[in-house]
Amino acid sequence: MFEKLAELIVDSPLNQWIQAKYWLWPILEITHFLGLTLLLGGLIIIDLRMIGFFRNIDHKTTHKLIPLVALGFILNLITGVLFFYGDPMRYSINIAFQIKMLLVLIAGCNAAIYHFKIDPLLGTINNNDSSPLAISIVAAISLGAWTGVLLLGRLIPYIGTG
Amino acid sequence: MFVWVENTALALWVSTSLWAYPLLLSLHIVGLAIVAGIFSMRDMHLIGVVNALQVSQFNDLTKLAYLGFIINAISGFLLFTSQASIFITSIPFLSKIALISIAMVLTLFINKVIKRDGNNTRLKIPAFISLLCWINAIVAGRLIAYIF
Repeated sequence: MFEKLAELIVDSPLNQWIQAKYWLWPILEITHFLGLTLLLGGLIIIDLRMIGFFRNIDHKTTHKLIPLVALGFILNLITGVLFFYGDPMRYSINIAFQIKMLLVLIAGCNAAIYHFKIDPLLGTINNNDSSPLAISIVAAISLGAWTGVLLLGRLIPYIGTG
Repeated sequence: MFVWVENTALALWVSTSLWAYPLLLSLHIVGLAIVAGIFSMRDMHLIGVVNALQVSQFNDLTKLAYLGFIINAISGFLLFTSQASIFITSIPFLSKIALISIAMVLTLFINKVIKRDGNNTRLKIPAFISLLCWINAIVAGRLIAYIF
């Protein structure tokens, strides 16, 4: 699937533009790193609270961090697409990249489950109660998937490039 | 002296082992997410960008952030040893270390004020400087690979 996509965009004007601008790649990387800090930083607090840590903080209150998490995700989606556009032949065949995308997909589905099923539940539980299992599981999947995304992203230059 | 560091058994393990360098980089990015992530959320709360935390709970959050800091101090030190003589003259690297040092001193100050006074609007400026330090530490860290 990624190979097909790569063939479509290789040598496109955007692909050539990204490759021609030597200063662009470090700027994209810096933005991607700042984005992951927002994304993970917010989620560490939200998800660990949902699992049962930091019980003095109200569940609903930590969820006010979600806009920052979303901002981090959007920054990384945009810069990530530009990375792929800039070097499609390298990313498309890279096993670390492929698993990373699978984990992003899992994290996305998990976020949808959170939004539709878990979020309405949160208002009904007391702060000092231990978290219902479903809530802990969704939070653990979120943290696990994003940590995996982080690790595999960092390993792209080192493993499985064809 | 820094050439000597590069030739210690530890540094040679980092630079010649197939897995050491990527493994340490992976640890370093997880640590980054924990320490810079939590402190930037705390700073944005103190500045007033979000009102999502409680100052009384900063203690637990700070402990977790310190864990991230320790992970990165160790992984960072090991990464440093492998190319010590290059890193020690790298402007981005030295800037990064200076920025993190300032940020950690600010954290000690912020913790002290919170312990004494609870929530405090005087913390807006230290929190803002701390946030700028973490952002620029990440910028500088990335630039180590580009500017020698």
